Amino acid sequence: MSQTKSLNVDYNYTVVRLFAVTTVLWGIVGMGLGVLLAAQLYWPALNFDTAWFTYSRLRPLHTNAVIFAFGTSALFATSYYVVQRTCQVRLFAEKLAMFTFIGWQAVIIAAIITLPQGIGNSSKEYAELEWPIDILIALVWISYAVVFFGTLVKRKTSHIYVANWFYGGFIITVAALHIVNSMAVPVSLTKSYSVYAGAVDAMVQWWYGHNAVGFLLTAGFLGMMYYFVPKQAGRPVYSYRLSVVHFWALIALYIWAGSHHLHYTALPDWTQSVGMVMSVILFVPSWGGMINGIMTLSGAWHKLKTDPILRFLIVSLSFYGMSTFEGPMMAIKSVNALSHYTDWTVGHVHSGALGWVAMVSIGAIYHLIPNIYNQGRMYSIKLINTHFWLHTIGVVLYIVAMWISGIMQGMMWRAVNTDGTLTYSFVQSLEASYPFYLMRFIGGCFVVAGMLVMAYNVVKTIRANDGALEPVAEAA
Amino acid sequence: MDIATLHSIFTVLVFVGFIGLVVWLFVLKRKPDFDEQANLPFADDQKPKQQQKQESDHE
Ligand code: HEM
Ligand code: HEM
Repeated sequence: MSQTKSLNVDYNYTVVRLFAVTTVLWGIVGMGLGVLLAAQLYWPALNFDTAWFTYSRLRPLHTNAVIFAFGTSALFATSYYVVQRTCQVRLFAEKLAMFTFIGWQAVIIAAIITLPQGIGNSSKEYAELEWPIDILIALVWISYAVVFFGTLVKRKTSHIYVANWFYGGFIITVAALHIVNSMAVPVSLTKSYSVYAGAVDAMVQWWYGHNAVGFLLTAGFLGMMYYFVPKQAGRPVYSYRLSVVHFWALIALYIWAGSHHLHYTALPDWTQSVGMVMSVILFVPSWGGMINGIMTLSGAWHKLKTDPILRFLIVSLSFYGMSTFEGPMMAIKSVNALSHYTDWTVGHVHSGALGWVAMVSIGAIYHLIPNIYNQGRMYSIKLINTHFWLHTIGVVLYIVAMWISGIMQGMMWRAVNTDGTLTYSFVQSLEASYPFYLMRFIGGCFVVAGMLVMAYNVVKTIRANDGALEPVAEAA
Repeated sequence: MDIATLHSIFTVLVFVGFIGLVVWLFVLKRKPDFDEQANLPFADDQKPKQQQKQESDHE
């Protein structure tokens, strides 16, 4: 049934199971949409001259589906699991926890219905949803906070494990970001105007946007990392002290870096400089965290050879390291002058999103599924390995294509002739990017193929008789 | 007091707080103080594994 005994604690795995399974489902939908977008950029005829099928309407659907449906479901599933197991108590307010599941799915369905119709606030990236949906999001999120912190309060352990600090920071910050950024004056059920205007609106939007990256796509998934990496490796985190420094340094710095999204805009110069400096400093705790995660394996590196789940987790950390090296570099104004508006940004996004966020989530879900369904392991370890290679090849194809295309675009756009006129027209740069759009499409197909393999493996594991799948014997 | 002074004071406070945290962690506290916390992910396992609960050889 929905309760599994361990240490004589009845954990509530029902909500965890629901969110875990929807993570896989929305992963396929969201990444499938990404492949469709990639295809539309290469074969524009694929919008079939249908308004709701156009790139402009499906693009926000992709970002919402991968970040809020796939990524956030993974965060819900793992945080409810981790908080119970590291506090050794059952979830607090279980009905409310069930409400977070139903409410969140309702938000996703509402997004799927409204965004293709062009309903939404398109000036707010990652916050496009209209105000009635925003209110539902706020309600779900506050309930999430009550369940999570309530469980922490009634814990049986004397300490709060570091993963919960990251999850908690993520939950509180996202609530504040969402509520502040979504302040709007409704004029009808499907239309509203932001209460902010001009440069202030831009600053609020990217304070939100960047901290969504910092607290949702980073802090939340770091919480995942701090539980599942040690657990899968079978050894405690490399340095607990470093993890505490990591947490406080990230929290203190991230908030100030958002203006790097608005270099050379109407924003006051000094805010741009603050954003740049803070972003560069952010490199230090980011790499501290990455090293802490990877070094957890020290003395057990051989496990990487046999355990594809561990490989997912460790490779995700190296992508985290890569994107947090790339990000601070792109935040330097002179580099941003080249990278902004080009495919380089899109490449950076997906090295973080597909490399870090997706891989750490996939690894965590592979660890989670057998545990919450009374099995010793996933149905097929071989298929996890297949998934690992499909995903890795896909991500590398995607990122490399965007790096080449992005830097080329930047160089072409800034090239001038001796008489001061532009060397290339925009269309020429677009033509040059064309082959790389095909390469990204192919990379995306690999990734989605991997997700389908995962879905098969997950279904087989869930369907197996209780306890039928024996744990893999530990190699000595 | 103008806003710049307030910001400066805040920055200094955050910095001092951070140094305080590092001193507390690395000077005042000893490593074994954190071993129990670091082992929390393994504390609720049904079948104790061998590697669990042992003093970590890390750091
Ligand atoms: C099969 C996998 C994926 C493919 C093929 C894909 C493809 C795309 C494409 C074609 C775009 C539009 C780029 C442009 O406008 O030039 C895009 C944007 C975006 N995608 Fe993906 N995507 C995938 C997975 C993901 C995942 C897993 C995430 C997040 C967890 C993600 C997050 C984003 C974000 C945030 C943007 C907006 C980027 C920006 O505004 O700079 N994607 N994606
Ligand atoms: C130290 C860490 C990081 C820094 C300093 C950083 C910095 C930057 C910079 C400078 C940009 C380009 C802004 C522009 O030119 O428009 C950017 C874009 C972006 N980054 Fe990062 N990044 C970091 C880590 C990450 C991570 C780990 C992710 C995870 C997925 C991520 C996701 C994004 C997204 C989604 C965008 C695109 C925003 C948009 O224009 O729609 N970043 N980042």
